[in-house]
Amino acid sequence: MIPEIGLTLLIAASCLSLILSIITIVGIKTDSDYLTSYSKPLIYLIFIALFSSIISLAYSFLTDDFSVAYVANHSNTELAALYKVAAVWGSHEGSMLFWVFAISAWAALINAKQTTQVCRFHQQMMAILALVILGFSLFLLFTSNPFARLLPEFPIQGRDLNPILQDIGLIIHPPLLFLGYVGLTICFAGAMSALLCGGLTQEYAKHLRPWAVMAWVFLTGGNAFGSWWAYNELGWGGWWFWDPVENASFIPWLVATAMMHSITMTCRRGIFGSTTIFLCILAFSLSLLGSFLVRSGVVQSVHAFASDPTRGMSILVLLILFAGSAMALFASKTSQQTIKVDFTLRSKETLLLLGNLLLVIAALSVLLGTCYPLMFEVLTGNTISVGAPYFNSIFIPIAALIFLLMGFAPLQAWQNTTSSLRSQLLLLALCVAVALLITLVSQSSFNFWLFIGCFSVLWIVTATGLAIKNRVSKNKSHLGENHSNRRFYAMCIAHVGVALSVLGATYVSNFEQEELLRMGPGQGKTLAGYTFIYEETQAVESSSYTAIQAQIKVLDADEQFVTYIYPQRQTFKSNAMELSAAGIHSSILGDLYISMGQQLKNGDALSDNEYLIRIGYKPFVSWIWIGAIFMMCSGIILVMTPRKATSNSTEQVRSLQGSEAIQ
Amino acid sequence: MNRTLITSIPSSMTQMALYCPLILASILTLLVFSGNVMANSIQLKPKLEDRSTPTHYSKIEIRDMGFEIAKELRCPTSPNQNLFDSQSRIASELKGQIFLMLEQGNSKQTIIDFMVQRYGEKMRYLPSLNSGTAFLWLTPILLVLLAISGVYFFIRPKLIVSARAESSTLISPQQDTKNE
Repeated sequence: MIPEIGLTLLIAASCLSLILSIITIVGIKTDSDYLTSYSKPLIYLIFIALFSSIISLAYSFLTDDFSVAYVANHSNTELAALYKVAAVWGSHEGSMLFWVFAISAWAALINAKQTTQVCRFHQQMMAILALVILGFSLFLLFTSNPFARLLPEFPIQGRDLNPILQDIGLIIHPPLLFLGYVGLTICFAGAMSALLCGGLTQEYAKHLRPWAVMAWVFLTGGNAFGSWWAYNELGWGGWWFWDPVENASFIPWLVATAMMHSITMTCRRGIFGSTTIFLCILAFSLSLLGSFLVRSGVVQSVHAFASDPTRGMSILVLLILFAGSAMALFASKTSQQTIKVDFTLRSKETLLLLGNLLLVIAALSVLLGTCYPLMFEVLTGNTISVGAPYFNSIFIPIAALIFLLMGFAPLQAWQNTTSSLRSQLLLLALCVAVALLITLVSQSSFNFWLFIGCFSVLWIVTATGLAIKNRVSKNKSHLGENHSNRRFYAMCIAHVGVALSVLGATYVSNFEQEELLRMGPGQGKTLAGYTFIYEETQAVESSSYTAIQAQIKVLDADEQFVTYIYPQRQTFKSNAMELSAAGIHSSILGDLYISMGQQLKNGDALSDNEYLIRIGYKPFVSWIWIGAIFMMCSGIILVMTPRKATSNSTEQVRSLQGSEAIQ
Repeated sequence: MNRTLITSIPSSMTQMALYCPLILASILTLLVFSGNVMANSIQLKPKLEDRSTPTHYSKIEIRDMGFEIAKELRCPTSPNQNLFDSQSRIASELKGQIFLMLEQGNSKQTIIDFMVQRYGEKMRYLPSLNSGTAFLWLTPILLVLLAISGVYFFIRPKLIVSARAESSTLISPQQDTKNE
């Protein structure tokens, strides 16, 4: 009964969203306040319907209702209650339901916070969101109904949740990522609504910016946490592999970063409205395209996730419908508009514009690399692979250019910088020199990638420091703390966060030490000053798997005991799937990483207790994720900064700008 | 927009100073990209001297080179994993093969070619540059150059206008308040 209620509510939500969009369109056409006043209650109703719908699915999971196909395929009576709840978004159908629910929740939140000033913009935005909800729920109802029953012969026991997913990662990573995608959907709706109102003005941009920043925060978290999860769980020791599934979430992140900067520019200066709209459409389309790539199974991935070609087709139809109509509207509305350029080459605007362009190019390059094997196969019939070496050699140089701009941009004034460039160029030269020195001293031959990494970190940190110094000295002449300052410092935190991530990535890529060897009880190995001693092989049993684990003792250079590390090979009870879980000892300066491979053969017989063991010392690897936390915090600070306060500080900012320009 | 060709010399001097890093950066990118492409095209031709004279690598060299090669080759069975990360049986065997060939003194290129010959072009994670992959390699480079030159030429003519306007409208308080 409960699943049917959930299904009915889903149908009700799609009907309600259809009604909402029609009412709003008719209301705006006939200028009827009575009709448009329905928009608010209808959004709340849609939210309540979808919320109850997803709750009923969760209920089916918790009560082990295996007559529901989705529950039977992704749960088990043995599964812990927490994972039963998380399994709601653990596969295709449920995750789409979660996605559409999150859209309605976010829309309801916007509704609750809405001020009445930009009524029409707001109503149109809700109508467009309702159309997106309609599209998604029709997709759910017709191709992937999460409430489909297996009647009359339903199984007594469910197939288990994929063992790889039974991890803390499943509870955090997918919701963050979906919320990020939903944020992009919100920005898309806002941009389209602004387009219908005649362009993205400063006022609309101010309404949209907090949501754009939140979308970026969620996407950052989703990506970073996904990378952390793969590093801990998959047992291959990598934190980024340029896998299609990783790229599918990384590409929208890159475009969302550009979108956030562009929207900030529109907020501050009222320019580049069309660019912002375009980026919003692009980010949303890429998030859908990413979902298509991941869910249709057209690309091979190590993180294989719920792939089915028929669904892929429907997502493609949705993508063409949404992106196509949006692009058509964009083309028809903006062709006559020209951008008024009121800034010089040496201004924040120029650098931000170039940075945004480069971010989009980086995103498109990654997309090209991801889709190339597919296109190549269709066109020529041959298969090739495009993997990490390609992405590294294309992406890192583009990223380095972006980092160069990242250092310069905060040092320039809006419109035109008249202050001397000398100190900035001096700093740049100093950074190049120090980076060269570090590169030459630390490795015997000149390593260009190491040089780029060192330079980027040094440059971003010192240039941000210089920007802070300039800011502080200017603040001294203009008294008081204001919110524009808070925005500035939030930006600095985000940029330093990027630098920290780059530091971690550079360090671990260039100074990682690894060994691959056979090990059995009593054997030892020295790596990076640590001694690893294989003490014994143990059998472990948990509720969902049995495992063998190696107990490996770690001593430091002075023979002092550091820790025990326990890498495991788990065999799941429900489907006999084998999985290796790495043993990691984390510290701020570096991780000790051990994963356990297969039992080795000695001639024909299995050797007693010898395994293929991979030992790694990964210096500074955790800084990659610490940097991401910095970025997320800065976004949250930005959103928490009250909007109305900026108008109070206008006078001060104006004089700041004036003084900078006069200098 | 009326374009008056008045530009003061000192202002264009500072502009030049700004272009320096930009030009430097674009040259750097070009260098890196072309370096990569070169490295790739070199891969196409077998290195004769490497094949004819087997070299002896030290133990550490064998380890580092072996890992490097294993990371650039795709495991034939696991979905999208390289040989190094893959834990499948064939990946272990192929890793063994790589080390064996290194001990015999084969070069990295010989080993990769050997593997590609056996398991197909799909093994290569770094696609080589040829007519089929030119689009893949060259598009990003062209886009970056287009973006840099585009921004440069797009904003440059307007610069003259704003340089003229600088004295009057640009920093006028009224406009700035509006911009906030």
